[in-house]
Amino acid sequence: MWSLGAFAFANPWVLVALAALPALWWLLRATPPAAQRVSFPAVRLLLGLTPREETAARTPWWLLALRLLIAALLITGLAGPVMHPAGTIHGSGPLVMVVDDGWGAGAAWPDTQRSMRAWLDRAERAGKRVVLLTTAPDRPNAFPAPTRPLRVANARERVNALTPHPWPRDLDAAAEAVAGLELAGSATAVWFTDGLAAPGARQLAERLQRLGGLTAVHPAAARTAAIALPPDPATPELAVPVRRAAAGGEWTATVEALDAEGRVVGTATATFAPDQKAAEAAFDLPLSLRNRVARVRLAKARHAGAVALLDERWSRRRVGLPSAGDDGRPLLSPDYYLARAFSPFAEIARAPLDELLARELSLLALADRGTIPDARRETLTQWVRDGGVLVRFAGPRMAAALREGTTAQRDASPLLPVPLRRGGRELGGAMSWDDPARIGGFPAVGPLAGLPVPEGVRVHKQVLAQPGPELDAHTWARLEDGTPLVTGAERGDGWVVLVHTTAEASWSDLALSGTFVRILRRLTQLGAGVSDTGDRPLPPQRLLDGFGELMAAGGAARALPADPDAAPAVGPAHPPGLYGRGGERRAHNLAPRVADLAPLTDLPGGVTVQAPDSRPETPIGPWLLAAALALWLVDLGLALALRGMLRARGAATAAVVLAAAVVGAAVPVSQARAQDGDADAFARKAALATRLAYVETGVARVDRTTRAGLAELSRVLGRRTSVEPEPPMAADPASDPLVVFPMLYWAITPEQPTLSARAAENLTRFLRSGGTLVIDLREAGAGHGATADGTRGNETLRRLTREIPIPPLRRVGAEHVLTKTFYLLDTFPGRTTGGEVWVENTELTGGEVASVIIGANDWAGAWAVDDAGNRMHAVVPGGSRQREMAYRVGVNLVMYALTGTYKADQVHVPAILERLGQ
Amino acid sequence: MSQASPPTPRQRAERATTGLPPLLLAAERVASTVAQGVHGRRRVGPGETFWQYREYTASDPASSIDWRRSARSDRLFVRQTEWEAAQSVWLWRDGSPSMAWRSRPELPTKRERAELLVLALMSLMIRAGERVTLLGSGAAPSADRETLARMALLLERGGGTDDLPETRGVPRHGQVVLVGDFLAEPETVLERVRAFAGRAVGGQLVQVLDPAEEDLPYRGRVRFQGLEGEGSWLAPRAESLRSAYDTRMTAHREGLTAAAQRVGWQVTRHRTDCAPETALLALHAALAARPGR
Repeated sequence: MWSLGAFAFANPWVLVALAALPALWWLLRATPPAAQRVSFPAVRLLLGLTPREETAARTPWWLLALRLLIAALLITGLAGPVMHPAGTIHGSGPLVMVVDDGWGAGAAWPDTQRSMRAWLDRAERAGKRVVLLTTAPDRPNAFPAPTRPLRVANARERVNALTPHPWPRDLDAAAEAVAGLELAGSATAVWFTDGLAAPGARQLAERLQRLGGLTAVHPAAARTAAIALPPDPATPELAVPVRRAAAGGEWTATVEALDAEGRVVGTATATFAPDQKAAEAAFDLPLSLRNRVARVRLAKARHAGAVALLDERWSRRRVGLPSAGDDGRPLLSPDYYLARAFSPFAEIARAPLDELLARELSLLALADRGTIPDARRETLTQWVRDGGVLVRFAGPRMAAALREGTTAQRDASPLLPVPLRRGGRELGGAMSWDDPARIGGFPAVGPLAGLPVPEGVRVHKQVLAQPGPELDAHTWARLEDGTPLVTGAERGDGWVVLVHTTAEASWSDLALSGTFVRILRRLTQLGAGVSDTGDRPLPPQRLLDGFGELMAAGGAARALPADPDAAPAVGPAHPPGLYGRGGERRAHNLAPRVADLAPLTDLPGGVTVQAPDSRPETPIGPWLLAAALALWLVDLGLALALRGMLRARGAATAAVVLAAAVVGAAVPVSQARAQDGDADAFARKAALATRLAYVETGVARVDRTTRAGLAELSRVLGRRTSVEPEPPMAADPASDPLVVFPMLYWAITPEQPTLSARAAENLTRFLRSGGTLVIDLREAGAGHGATADGTRGNETLRRLTREIPIPPLRRVGAEHVLTKTFYLLDTFPGRTTGGEVWVENTELTGGEVASVIIGANDWAGAWAVDDAGNRMHAVVPGGSRQREMAYRVGVNLVMYALTGTYKADQVHVPAILERLGQ
Repeated sequence: MSQASPPTPRQRAERATTGLPPLLLAAERVASTVAQGVHGRRRVGPGETFWQYREYTASDPASSIDWRRSARSDRLFVRQTEWEAAQSVWLWRDGSPSMAWRSRPELPTKRERAELLVLALMSLMIRAGERVTLLGSGAAPSADRETLARMALLLERGGGTDDLPETRGVPRHGQVVLVGDFLAEPETVLERVRAFAGRAVGGQLVQVLDPAEEDLPYRGRVRFQGLEGEGSWLAPRAESLRSAYDTRMTAHREGLTAAAQRVGWQVTRHRTDCAPETALLALHAALAARPGR
């Protein structure tokens, strides 16, 4: 292919004919034009007349120019010009395409895909096969494995189905895989990188180069991934650190904060100075909005590293400290210590108690009150009962009130968790023998479980609780000798907590230690109803996909261990996302683990680095030929007009016809692209009436048969039963919501491409939410054999349902409810007979209605009726009886899917009759 | 539409004749612009106009003596009147394919103009009381009410496609009017004309030509195609042939005029872009000037 600037020519030798154009000009000019034909009665008088000078009339110059243009267009069109040519592939072996589909690939994924398609076009032109290798593992404990040399059509299918994964790549394993490749001849290798450095990149590049030459397709520096790290939960404001891979010029990144529904709550910008790789975006949000933030992400970036998920650890609570007047001595006031302890993770509100109670607070900390006045007591009790957490501290006033007996001692007061003894005790003072007590431990009951026991905290003085049978249940922290240090109890929806020592340093060192902060943090989290997780691992709730979107959990993700500090690496087993059960959420983020980004520069010499082809090569030969044709029609019209063969009437119609022909040749056929309907409109249409649905396989004749079969079955149902379904709908498992259908019919053909991960997920969700999947293998004699049956239908079924959890199956016996849901059936014939029907073994799985029914007789083929009312397929061995039976099978299936197993209750009828005494 | 009985021949003829009005109307209109009248034949015969006095011979009846003239002298005289007889005119128009041609759509074809002239002349003749017929149609000359319609019908039906008329059917001392383009060789025309003149038939030639045949307004490379199988001629540059063609056309016309005048006929020339009344006027005057021998 010979290239000239932005054009290349597939057959450049045709262009030699352009040299003949001047000769053509001379010839056309020398040739006199065609004579105008005129009928003339007096021609006898003209015969033999020749004028003296013989200069013939010439063709007008513009007609000549038009004809030359036509010739030029024809020659250029035949030379096969191509715009934005893509070069050729050298070497005799196949094309090796290594694709980085780790998290960083999502940033420039459309460009990468376009580039991959362009390379596949080149391979197709050169007639090569393609070996495809992805560098990120698909499943846990899987290693990147190269495919065998594929034909370009198959490779194209696979390339279209590739999506980036939200975890890092494994370049070492990929290099190993490349080393294990055995290829005939020298293979050109193309590596579609995401532009980020990683260990093992150089080795991979060297091995690829050894195959026969490596081209690295590298997105531009502006398109490589930039990541957003989760902010530090300890800082009061939400400051999101942003990192980029290449330190280039100045760049401003916008960071958005989103709430749990995906709405943007706030935006901030992070400005990178030139040659800086780190910046920060600070959000300025009021507390209520800040607590709603569920994730932050870089705007306009579509990869998993640009999203940082936040969980409970980042939400700041509001804590109320009633101010009893200003103190001139801060270091001696308990409010000072409380404020310092709460400030890292909570917002403090200081006001008189009445005002505080009117506000929304997570926790109210009362430091050493003696007696609470009655009026206050009522409001406080109500507040606690409504769900507030009240933390009280002991102190001299409380001790005095206890001594005087004004605090309830026997019964549990609404504002004290446990009844208290009259006196406190003093440890390690001048008048006692004991040393000041240490903290013994944090029992497993209570929100303080699991806190590390501090070494240096000594408690000198404390109030004591009445020993009683329930004291253990309410003790949340103990001293070494077992006496409770922190007790708490539930009151209504809220909690009352008592710390048996002071909030400042007079009675103990607790207020000076870090344990104080931890205790208070745990108590603050108590307010939100966060129960302790204990040791249970956290199952995945919602996971990020390769493009940074949150989806429902599925696939091979495993649970996170309970300990937040022992979080495992991000990989296929633990993709980034939100883990937890019920209302609790823990965020597992990718960005902190890949925080040091560096651009990929460490490539061996001799590697061609390219930007991805942003424009596919377009052949413009057909356009030029079409233009030549249109101009030739124009020329034809002009020649006729000049010869006077077009009369006045004829000229008008000829002009119209010419114009129509030119327009028709020039207007390209616009592809009527089927519009993707709104998912809502689809769901509404599907769900507002009973409809039978079928999985769109993509094979036209199978889909047609299925649709016709289901339409006829719908009519039969309308006639014979009380179900009146609307016409059937096709459902694409990858994009349409399947859960609106009660029953889904899937005709298995070998030509159906493998399901994408999204489609498999949708089908899994469909099965889990109670839908019935009727699978028709459409093959006589096939059935899901217990031993690995090698029939084509089984192979295809296995390939297509690899990602879908098919439950354990059993054969349909004579007593199964499917034989009697509407009609009484012995066999289940379709277009063929003899195949077996397998259903889910509901005894094993514990369901009621089987979610999977697999048959092998082509049912839709027997039901299908075309528009004229003729049966589309013949039944084998034949007979209208068999077709009638096939309709009955269909009715039974639909009734089973819609009404369940109530017919199975017939088994109890004898017992019921007996009980009634008949 | 239903009819009670099939139309009678007269009704059919009348319906057929109602299709002819445009040509008839045009002809009548043209004719009405020209004055008409019965003319004498300048010989003795039955009539109304006094011609001469002749001496009485024994074979004359006694009642024919004119006593007023006879009283003035001593001999007897008979009054004689001029022979006012209606003339019979045979008209012919050229129906060959070369007549059905026009150079511009707004002009009538030569044949249309010829037919118009023939019919208009017939109408004039009939108004003047003379008898007309179409040469070659086989009908006797007549002057009744329906003659014009009949002649128009005959013209419409087509008829002879010859370049030149046949000479039979015209008695001695008749009048003939030939309307055509006479683009054939003058010798052939002369030979036909002589055949007529040998039987003492007087005649008029009217040459109807298209303006393009006189001016040759074409330019560029033109292939001229004959309409009657004469072949075609390719002119590389048509405008350069104009002068030579003009010479030839003039020579042809003069040959025609000379041939006609040799036997005492007259030639009238007419272009289809001129008004037909002028030609008609000239024709009528020529016919009136020749009352026959």
